[in-house]
Amino acid sequence: MPKTVERPDLQETVSLDRPWITIVWDDPVNLMSYVAYVFRSYFGVTAEEAERLMLQVHNTGRAVVATGNREAMERHVEAMHGYGLWATLARADS
Amino acid sequence: MQFEPAAAGRVSAHFELVEVGLLRLATSQLVELLEAADPHATGTAADPALKRLLPDAYQGDPEAAAEFRRFTAGDLLDRKVLNARVVLATLGEEPLDPISDEPDEALLHDFPDDAPLAIVLDLPDVQSWLRTLTDLRLTLAERLNIGPDGRPQRDDEEVPFLSDVYEWFGMVQEALVYAIDV
Repeated sequence: MPKTVERPDLQETVSLDRPWITIVWDDPVNLMSYVAYVFRSYFGVTAEEAERLMLQVHNTGRAVVATGNREAMERHVEAMHGYGLWATLARADS
Repeated sequence: MQFEPAAAGRVSAHFELVEVGLLRLATSQLVELLEAADPHATGTAADPALKRLLPDAYQGDPEAAAEFRRFTAGDLLDRKVLNARVVLATLGEEPLDPISDEPDEALLHDFPDDAPLAIVLDLPDVQSWLRTLTDLRLTLAERLNIGPDGRPQRDDEEVPFLSDVYEWFGMVQEALVYAIDV
């Protein structure tokens, strides 16, 4: 079963990559209730976690809402832009 | 304007006719803006509202930001247009004309001038509404030059009306979020 044999190598390569992060930035337009709703419905986090992330965005200007490989973070950023949130991605250590 | 949770995740909505007219007008203008947009325009020539609707995905890396835009901006714009068209469709395709030249008795009986519009939004409709209300507010915020404190930095005769519309769209969105937050 060559396909399953190759999988551990692939995962190793991915995990050795420096991870990327998705950042949501504060803006004066989007409502706090809506931002928390987006975190809840899109990332599937609990209401408490969504509220915590939303308040972090609101109070500190930004919050890291996801970590992973670059392609996954680009998908998250595109989704956030679909919701109208201001989101960017960057290397985790940047 | 009123939203109430209905069966199967639906939301029933009531709007006064003047509210329907406002939503239709603003949403139609949003469709025009989005359809006229060049998804790949990034320079200073681009409409500031469009730059906020499609912000750079990478900060301090114009090349990566342009690359991301190349692959996503077209789809994002298409979906925003689609959402706005769903809002228009749920508000009714036919233009509302309560003050007709030749009043139709039956029509007046069924739709008196002060009767609110009652519609039911299903789950996909609600998603389109939430996103379109956001796009409307982001666009208006650029026109009003909303500052970090959430207040308009612009000061002219258009500001009071646009501010009211901006605030009202916020109230509509908040009411809709609460209606589905069960």
